[in-house]
Amino acid sequence: MVMKNPKLARVAQGARLELVPLQVLVPVVSTIIALGIGLLIIAATGASVIEAIEAFWDGMAGSDFNIGASINRAISLALVGLGFIFASRANLTNVGGEGQIAMGGMFATAAALHGAGGLPLGLAFIVPLAVGTLAGAIWGGLAGVLKAARGTNEVISTLLLSFIALPLVYWSVESFHLLRKPISDVSSLPESAEIPDSTKLPLLFPDNGSPLHIGLLIAAIAVVVVWLVLRHSSLGLRLRAVGLNAMASRRAGMRTSFYVILAMTVSGGLGGLGGAIMILGQQFYLTSDFSSGYGFDGLVVGLLSRGSAVGVVIGALLFGFLRSGSINMEISAHVPSAVVLICQGLIVIVIAGSAILTNRKVTR
Amino acid sequence: MIDEQMAVFIGSGLRLAVPIIFAATGEMLSERAGVLNLSLDGMMLMSAFTAALASWATGSPLIGVAAGVLVATAVAALQAVLSVTLRANQLVVGIGFNILALGSTTFLYREIFGPLSRDPIPGFAQLNLPWLAHIPVIGPALANQTGLAYVSILMVVVTWLILKYTSFGLAVRAVGEDPRAADKAGISVAKTRYLGVLYAGILAGLGGAFMSVADSNTFTENMTKGAGYLAITAVIFGGWNPWYTLAACLLFGFATALQFLVPALQLDVPVALLLLLPYLLALVAIAGFVGKSRQPSALTIPFERGG
Repeated sequence: MVMKNPKLARVAQGARLELVPLQVLVPVVSTIIALGIGLLIIAATGASVIEAIEAFWDGMAGSDFNIGASINRAISLALVGLGFIFASRANLTNVGGEGQIAMGGMFATAAALHGAGGLPLGLAFIVPLAVGTLAGAIWGGLAGVLKAARGTNEVISTLLLSFIALPLVYWSVESFHLLRKPISDVSSLPESAEIPDSTKLPLLFPDNGSPLHIGLLIAAIAVVVVWLVLRHSSLGLRLRAVGLNAMASRRAGMRTSFYVILAMTVSGGLGGLGGAIMILGQQFYLTSDFSSGYGFDGLVVGLLSRGSAVGVVIGALLFGFLRSGSINMEISAHVPSAVVLICQGLIVIVIAGSAILTNRKVTR
Repeated sequence: MIDEQMAVFIGSGLRLAVPIIFAATGEMLSERAGVLNLSLDGMMLMSAFTAALASWATGSPLIGVAAGVLVATAVAALQAVLSVTLRANQLVVGIGFNILALGSTTFLYREIFGPLSRDPIPGFAQLNLPWLAHIPVIGPALANQTGLAYVSILMVVVTWLILKYTSFGLAVRAVGEDPRAADKAGISVAKTRYLGVLYAGILAGLGGAFMSVADSNTFTENMTKGAGYLAITAVIFGGWNPWYTLAACLLFGFATALQFLVPALQLDVPVALLLLLPYLLALVAIAGFVGKSRQPSALTIPFERGG
């Protein structure tokens, strides 16, 4: 519709301009409300709120080590979050981050333990990273194939694939012929042996005791690439077109199945990379629940960002620091870290519920 | 020896199926009306915890079940406000509720039960119906169940009757298939969907309460372990039909119970692979490789009047 009346046109433009801050305002306000409720809950338990906040702060940023550990957490969350927004560009909701992390971590461990350790030129850690990424990509791509070929709802299939991936990891660390380390007199826990030193990600600041590793650079590159692809490439446009109207895109000559599978494969690959980095960067051996909660945290990060790569970075840092803080809060101030889960749940619900404010048209 | 193990297997398969039967039956009705509650697992978890708490506080498992159902219905009401009135993304809202349920039950469990001893909470006794026990092989397993287990089958019958023979059931089906036409025919889409979601909440509440006060007489953190997701897949597996859904729930229950039977029979199958069996079956089912089923046309699509 063409606005003939200049006054009306200006009003319309004003309304459009208002929509942009609202996209930022809603996540910020809901995060603040949720954290406020979290504080109220802590106060209600009778614990000292000051003490809890102090322990929280200490865990997040009390030392070089804690800051590094928090950022390391944020790296994997950012990768899962980027995967989420990549898929959602094509109007696909990848809620299977947990399974993609699990597959990525498991295959990265296998590559690091069997063969990659002796490779030269940094290939010792690059190969396991690539293997993990591939594993995640296949796991995500599977949901894409099911969607394209059989019309299977990707929310349900990615969820189910997560529930299939987690027992697979459990199986791999339970079985001696797979990844379980041989029983020694020291321990017989169901976990893999520690990966060789050469396969561990190099530290960025080896001298000050910070665990921060080059995963930070990998994540930074991923952020820029995803941002460029989604915002400034014809691929990003095509993904969007397929997501908005598959039928019209098909009539315009696009192979919609290809883009659906591609979006899910890239999305899963980013999750797999996140899982590989968790093992190679900080945990160094595989346990059955190493991915616990990271998938849903990454999902929340992706949701909060509202499709923006910069938003993913902010969200990932927020949740990385929150998680570190909550762990320390539980240890030193005896406040259950589940409070942070409550906050996260509230954030998701409030943001989803306020979509009616930010989307004029209901997306289908 | 084998007979005895089969009886244990059938018994545990049934007990594992009951919560899924409750939740899936309610969810089936809600989905027929067009609303998918991914929050089913959260409703069950909240109910399991509340039922355990109320039963422990009052000494009456019946009050426990009532309290659990009440809380699950409250969650369902919120889910309905968000997905029907505010037209939010049903799947995202559901995941939000599941995170919230996990966080709040874990938190409250540690705050309230943490320092206490692990005494079992008051639960229901098994009925042990003599006339059922005489059936060979499956008899003892069928007879040694709590009353709630029989209620779950009753609810399948009730839900089937509602859908097939009542005007509300007709409204549910109309709203789920073609909300615009239903609206023009004078059926309130919003009201029908609200009732559908609340029905799912009540039944998910019964399923969750069964887990804590009838099956295990205790509450453990994240005790549903994804049972709600299994219930949703059972609905899909069952093709949105009450009887096929019931069959899918039983199949999932027995698939889960295999992890106890297989080691007992000294078969060399990894337990981990048995754990993923129900989900693998479900994935194969929703990929459409088992039979042909069609979901309600308006499933997960919010309805807006006019336009």
